Amino acid sequence: MKQTGTFGFVRVARYTEAVEYQKKAESRALRLEQQLETSREQSRGWKAKADQAHEALKQVQKTAAETRQKLERAEARAADLQVLQQRLAESERALTVAREQLMAIEVKLDILEGAANVLDARTRTVLMRRTATERGAPV
Amino acid sequence: MNDAPYLTIVVTGRNDDFGGDFNGRFFRALRFNHAQLAAAGVSHEFVFAEWRPIDGRHYLATLLAREFSDLGASGLRSFVVDPLYHDALSLNPRLAYQEFIAKNVGIRRARGAFVLSTNTDIYFGRGIISRLAERALERGVLYRAARHDLKATIDTTRTDWDVLEDERNCEIVNAIRPPYFTNASGDFLLLDRESCHELRGFNEVYRSAKIHIDGNFCMKAYACGLTLVDIGGVVYHVGRGTLHAQVGLYRGRPGEAPWGDIRWRSDVVYNNPPEWGLGLAPELPLDAHTTFLPFEWNAVGPMVALKRVVLPAVQQGMG
Amino acid sequence: MAPLSDRSSVTSHDRTPPTVSIVLTGRNDDYGVGFEARFFRTLRFNHRELTSRGIAYELVFIEWAPPQDRPRLVDRVFDAVPDLDPGVCRWYVVDAQYQAALSLNPRLVYLEFVAKNVGVRRAAGRFVLTSNCDVYFGRVVLDALARGSLMDGVVYRAARYDLKAEIGDGNPGWPEIEDPANLDGRPRSLRPPFMAGGTGDFVLLDRGTFHEMRGFNEVYRVARIGIDRNFLVKALSMGLTIEDIGGPVYHVNHAGSYRLTVHDYEGREGEAPWGNRRWHSSGVVYNNAPAWGLSEAPQRQLAKGVWFLDFSWDAVPPLVDLRGVVLPVSRLGGPRPGRYVSRM
Repeated sequence: MKQTGTFGFVRVARYTEAVEYQKKAESRALRLEQQLETSREQSRGWKAKADQAHEALKQVQKTAAETRQKLERAEARAADLQVLQQRLAESERALTVAREQLMAIEVKLDILEGAANVLDARTRTVLMRRTATERGAPV
Repeated sequence: MNDAPYLTIVVTGRNDDFGGDFNGRFFRALRFNHAQLAAAGVSHEFVFAEWRPIDGRHYLATLLAREFSDLGASGLRSFVVDPLYHDALSLNPRLAYQEFIAKNVGIRRARGAFVLSTNTDIYFGRGIISRLAERALERGVLYRAARHDLKATIDTTRTDWDVLEDERNCEIVNAIRPPYFTNASGDFLLLDRESCHELRGFNEVYRSAKIHIDGNFCMKAYACGLTLVDIGGVVYHVGRGTLHAQVGLYRGRPGEAPWGDIRWRSDVVYNNPPEWGLGLAPELPLDAHTTFLPFEWNAVGPMVALKRVVLPAVQQGMG
Repeated sequence: MAPLSDRSSVTSHDRTPPTVSIVLTGRNDDYGVGFEARFFRTLRFNHRELTSRGIAYELVFIEWAPPQDRPRLVDRVFDAVPDLDPGVCRWYVVDAQYQAALSLNPRLVYLEFVAKNVGVRRAAGRFVLTSNCDVYFGRVVLDALARGSLMDGVVYRAARYDLKAEIGDGNPGWPEIEDPANLDGRPRSLRPPFMAGGTGDFVLLDRGTFHEMRGFNEVYRVARIGIDRNFLVKALSMGLTIEDIGGPVYHVNHAGSYRLTVHDYEGREGEAPWGNRRWHSSGVVYNNAPAWGLSEAPQRQLAKGVWFLDFSWDAVPPLVDLRGVVLPVSRLGGPRPGRYVSRM
């Protein structure tokens, strides 16, 4: 038997068992401490990674914001482009209509000019005949 | 009337070469519209009102009957109005033609379940034809259609769908919007016959102008509680019209315009008398297609009827 | 004799209407030097080829404003072409006053297409072919006429091949006409959609459609150049198809022909005897009056198959008809038929 701290007595086997148990506990405590340290290490590592991820997120958010701005500017330009294209189409249409009108007017002017000259020639013939008749000259 | 058609198309004109080759343009459009309606199985009649015919010339109604003898007496009915009615009814000597009183003559005598008041040079679009073919028009609804104006000086020797629907030929679209759907309304006003009679046709109270009388009808219809809708199809017209071509000439002197003063208050409406559309005029058949309305003072209402000028806000009902 | 009306019968012979009316115009004025001889040679050839293939045709000839001091072509043609049966011919001699009354350009000495309209209006054939007096029909053209498979509503065109002037001096036959060595310049091909190029030498169309079009442009009488091309623009505007018939016609070059003299008037186009070629023949078309083709001209018979169109102001269309100047329409799926060409 072995003496315990309070003058109690315990069997050797049980003492051995207890010592063994204590050794195991100490070993386990040591392991747990080590594990805790490892966890702390890992935790610090994760925290660092989290910090990095957070930084990266901030960076991405910043990039996203910039990209959104670029997109908005691009959309605005696209809208402007569409307006310009529409105006171009309208202008082309107006030009076509104007050219068609111009062609029709030029053809009509040709006819009018020709007619005026024909009438002028006919009128002169009549006037000359009349003048000749008045003078008694042979027509 | 068991053989009454589904649709009456009312137009007016005379043999005066209005706008150049009036008869040619009229006949081409009528031939086209008739062919499309017939192909779609829409039973219809044309009612032509010849107002103030020109002395010494054939009645346009006679030429029309000759050209469209295939339509039969039930497909084409013409009413030639004694020119004395124009003088008796006129409140503006510059108005050469009372277009809407003429149309009233036709509307009053229409037999169709639905009456379409339009003009002689209007082509009906596909959307309109198919809508009519459905035979699902509603009573109490005034149907309107936007007018597409094709370029004025195009070749019209052969006008068909390929020409009408090619947007390269279109100069402008006269868009229509609620609630009144005015804007070239005289070219397409479709309403059931009973409602036409309730409204008593176009304004015969204000006879000093013919401009905006069509829009005024839209206001009247709205004020009377009718529903106004876009029928969902379009009509086509070659050119932007004589009014558009000449309106600039009278900008500084609107009172001298041949269509009346453009500034009149066309948002003020009317109650026509019961004898609207020359309802009391005697009728003399001239031939199978044509009836002459000889002049009688009895058929001419009072020169002035101020009580018949009414505000649109009030529900008119059957006045 | 009363004028031709819209609905009157156009044939004066008691016979079945021919398959094709060939409309030509000319006069004995020695146009291009040796016109008469050229015409008769071509006529002999074409007549022989048409009859040998059994093609039922009539010749509608418009002798426009013939000079007073020379024999008329109608008085010489049957001696010059003995095989030509007067029974297949209808000859119209047109009073010279019509030229003066209709022309809007004093330099235009011959209103070729108004003359052709006179023939088109009076043609009796199921199809009408307008051509010129010095054009030989090629084999493919003749075979197409013989087959009888032409369609309504189609404007048939044929490319024009120019032959050297000396070929026309003899009596050319197929070996001379078809020999590539005798071509004067590269043979032209026709390009859609207009198929233009020497159009006046070959336009073939059914009579009904030709009449619906009211023939060639009679509104613009300031030039004759471009009137044929203008017809094609009008045809497209009406939704007609323009097709290459598949083979050429042959034209023998001669002094005074347009192609050989066009550059003589560079910079002074207004002085050319065919009018200013820069007018908008590609961009603006026409609506002829209902009395097109001098339909209201009083006509009296001179001999069997020969008529004289007396002058009457009633038959002359208005000097100016601006409403007859119209823009060609676009058609769904089709090209824009009008084309803007700057006059600068």
